[in-house]
Amino acid sequence: MQQLNRRDFLRKSSLAAAVFAATPGITYAQVIGGGAQFDDYRALVCVFMFGGNDSFNMLVPNTTAEYNAYAASRQNLAIAQQDLLPINPTSFAPGSEPFGLHPSMASVQQLFESGSAALVSNVGPLIEPTTKDQFLNQSVALPPQLFSHNDQQDQWLSLRGKSPSKTGWAGRMADLIRSNVAGQQMATNASLFGSNTFQAADETVAYVMGPSGPQQFEGFSPEQRAAFLRIVDAQHDSIYERGFAAVQRRAIDAADTVTAAINSPEAQAITTVFPQGQLGTQLETVAKLIASRDQLQMQRQIFFVATGGFDSHDDQNQNQPGLLANISESIAAFHAAALEIGVENSVTTFTQSDFGRTLTSNGDGTDHAWGGNQLIVGGSVRGQDMYGTYPVLQIGGADDVGGGRMIPTTSADQFAATLAKWFGIPDVDLDIVAPNIDNFVQRDLGFMV
Amino acid sequence: MKSKLISLVASILLGVAGCGGGSGGNSQPPGPPPPPPITKAEAFQFLNQATFGATEAEAQRVINMRYEAWIDDQLQQPVSLQLPYIQSLTPPQFMFQLQPDRVDIWFRNALNGDDQLRQRVAFALSEILVVSQLGVLGGQPYALAGYYDILAENAFGNYRDLIEEVTLHPAMGAYLSMLGNEKPDPTRNIRPDENYARELMQLFSIGLVELNQDGSVRLDADNQPIATYDQAIIEGFAHVYTGWTYAGSPVFQGAFPTPTRQVFPMQLWPTFHDTGPKTLLNDVTLPAGRTGDQDLADALDNVFNHPNIGPFIAIRLIQRLVTSNPSPGYVSRVAGVFNDNGAGERGDLGAVVKAILLDDEARPALRMELDGKVKEPIIRVTQLWKAYNAASASGRYPYNFAYIIFGQGPLQSPSVFNFFSPFYAPPGEIRDSNLVAPELEIATEFLNTYVTNYMFIQTFAWNHAADPVTDPNVNDDTVLIDFAEEVAIAGDADALIDMVARKLLAGEISTALRGEIAGMLALIPADQGLLRAAETIYLVATSPEFAYQR
Repeated sequence: MQQLNRRDFLRKSSLAAAVFAATPGITYAQVIGGGAQFDDYRALVCVFMFGGNDSFNMLVPNTTAEYNAYAASRQNLAIAQQDLLPINPTSFAPGSEPFGLHPSMASVQQLFESGSAALVSNVGPLIEPTTKDQFLNQSVALPPQLFSHNDQQDQWLSLRGKSPSKTGWAGRMADLIRSNVAGQQMATNASLFGSNTFQAADETVAYVMGPSGPQQFEGFSPEQRAAFLRIVDAQHDSIYERGFAAVQRRAIDAADTVTAAINSPEAQAITTVFPQGQLGTQLETVAKLIASRDQLQMQRQIFFVATGGFDSHDDQNQNQPGLLANISESIAAFHAAALEIGVENSVTTFTQSDFGRTLTSNGDGTDHAWGGNQLIVGGSVRGQDMYGTYPVLQIGGADDVGGGRMIPTTSADQFAATLAKWFGIPDVDLDIVAPNIDNFVQRDLGFMV
Repeated sequence: MKSKLISLVASILLGVAGCGGGSGGNSQPPGPPPPPPITKAEAFQFLNQATFGATEAEAQRVINMRYEAWIDDQLQQPVSLQLPYIQSLTPPQFMFQLQPDRVDIWFRNALNGDDQLRQRVAFALSEILVVSQLGVLGGQPYALAGYYDILAENAFGNYRDLIEEVTLHPAMGAYLSMLGNEKPDPTRNIRPDENYARELMQLFSIGLVELNQDGSVRLDADNQPIATYDQAIIEGFAHVYTGWTYAGSPVFQGAFPTPTRQVFPMQLWPTFHDTGPKTLLNDVTLPAGRTGDQDLADALDNVFNHPNIGPFIAIRLIQRLVTSNPSPGYVSRVAGVFNDNGAGERGDLGAVVKAILLDDEARPALRMELDGKVKEPIIRVTQLWKAYNAASASGRYPYNFAYIIFGQGPLQSPSVFNFFSPFYAPPGEIRDSNLVAPELEIATEFLNTYVTNYMFIQTFAWNHAADPVTDPNVNDDTVLIDFAEEVAIAGDADALIDMVARKLLAGEISTALRGEIAGMLALIPADQGLLRAAETIYLVATSPEFAYQR
């Protein structure tokens, strides 16, 4: 089967673009390692929680004064202290159980305590280090449209700050390494949750499949397939026809290859049972694809999976347990599958979300905020520890910039740069992946080995 | 100058200017030459913009009446509703079981309603003022049907009336948390929820940055966009939207959404309304101590009078109906009509829709590369269905799973951000050219193939030859298309292709597509009429040129 050479295709179809002024973008002139192939396999799996995960109920202070401040802020939305699942991050006194996880996250507690998971506290989009006073005085550059869903999803996924960039940090990583992975049979970036900003790129194209994998084309005899391809590849005078045809083309090319990978013996050999539901299904498919990485000649992969429902303006107490249980069980199952496949040290899973949520409530729910806690899982994670600085959960306190919104103490750029470095991006190129990273002293948060 | 003008006016009155002709007795100036007849392709283009799919019969009406009279006729048609039908059904054990019926009546109105233009505009509005079955409204089919009806009823009315009805509708109240939103209570650390305050401005009216009338972003002295509102303004509006709950509810929060509560405008409980001052747009502050009704009316006026709404709504409606990348001139003209419909009224949606459809850019004399847009997947389906008289044995279209197999369905958006963003640009030449193509956001490899496969099943299996009684893959509610006409002439490949091209592409089929269809037909025996016809319709319905709305 012919492999689509995406760059050739774009070159052909972008002849028309020469008529219009192109956006000056990042030039990927620098080739990493002289274009040499990587000598190992690594994969990143982004689990995006759409809506803004109320992560100060996911990771809760367990020491007396701090818990009391939390409970006083959250009132009827606080988790009862006796219900918390205690954890022992190694930076703290052994056995002191200074923090606890939401009671629905027993699997994550287990992963954490066994060293396979870490937590990063109070991360959020920042352009430069920002104190509460600087925020209130607007005396530093701030990401635009804070507290707006799609803008903050965009900030997390693109790290673009104030620039109008249309690419995401996974897209830029794929662009940077494209010479090093030239033999891959599938795109570096794959999404199981639709097209997204995270994987948008200048040079490479993300492949979008459904939660269980690609759709196969019905009725595709060899003749039908060939006719379909010729129809798609024919001259189209409208830019919109060409855009549509491009998708059809990629779909036809990739459907067979990727489906074969999902049905491979290696993929079918996985015995781990995944939770039912969208996220479990997506992660199971990711596991199957990773099991088939050799068949597809993959060396670097970035997967985007997601689940929604986190915008808990209402009924937070009723809905949150199920949401967090799903995250916990699905990610734990995925790690178990990674162990089965033998790639636990090569695969790192991490969460992102629009924002954390307000300490104040509207009666039965919370509103959009800023800093939030994220989870990282994998054999190469320096697990059983917390990174960054956990904020003071006090309304009107030192970290509250108004309405119970915590100002991030670690930036999303730092978070991304740490993962990018592990993925194989040289330090000198980290500012391409995380454009604001040069504004921060700590480029590596230290949660990867 | 003056004398030149007088002499020009005089010459017009004396019938000397313009065409030649002597100074004969007739003082009537010769009128402009009659416009050229509308071609079938032009009529199809117009109907694909203004309805759920062009048909040959309707194209003939457009040719006869011409565009403006057709629109005027449509503006008079009575509105096709959903709620009365839903309310006429016996309530099932669980209310979510009526969602297929809601989708059914939507399809019936979209396909067969006399108010085609109104239905198409209502659908466009439903993609801007979004509520969705996915989420808290999953068990509230009455709310969704009633909400859609207010979009349809106000589609040619005034935008100020529309946003007031939307604001007070319990579907929106539940979806964006205004229902049961209460004033601050410091002892319980309660502040009013900001969801509706934010999204009404960001998504339903003015957007995030100030716009010029032509839709371009206004820049300050440092060449930076200017935010339309800040956190204080959001909080101001959030405090306005307090105190509202289900009409007739015994409690302020937590009442069960009965069929009745789902459909009446929300009611004010004054004790839960914040009576402090509220900061709004344009340096307006509502004073303290007023009622919820007063605050709400003034707040909606405050939003409605913001200069952004004209270009904001113009861009979005143009994108839904005509083209993804309107020129600044086009946006400006339409926004101008929003600002003043010519009779001094601001917000006249009927005038706006007319302006959109009659503008030169919608009726281009010359086809330009950027004209048009990608058809939304569900409109590819409805166009096919209209062309081929699609119907099920039951007469119903209960395709509740539309959002799964087509990637979209009526009031089935994954979030308040609709199925796709107005700013989406796929990678490649569209993005490189700084253009957008929103519909391509749901034309991913995955979703596109779903639709392609649906077209395969629709043509090869779910057609007039299928028998719901004997065929296990077909039931009474399976929508079947009827191409018996094509089957009758299918032995003649050229005639077959011509017929399908007439019905779906106004007769304009590319050489390449015709050639490929002919090539495939050559592989199917001449007496296999059903297969030949299905193959032809399948390849056209899945082609890039059918996916493209000129």
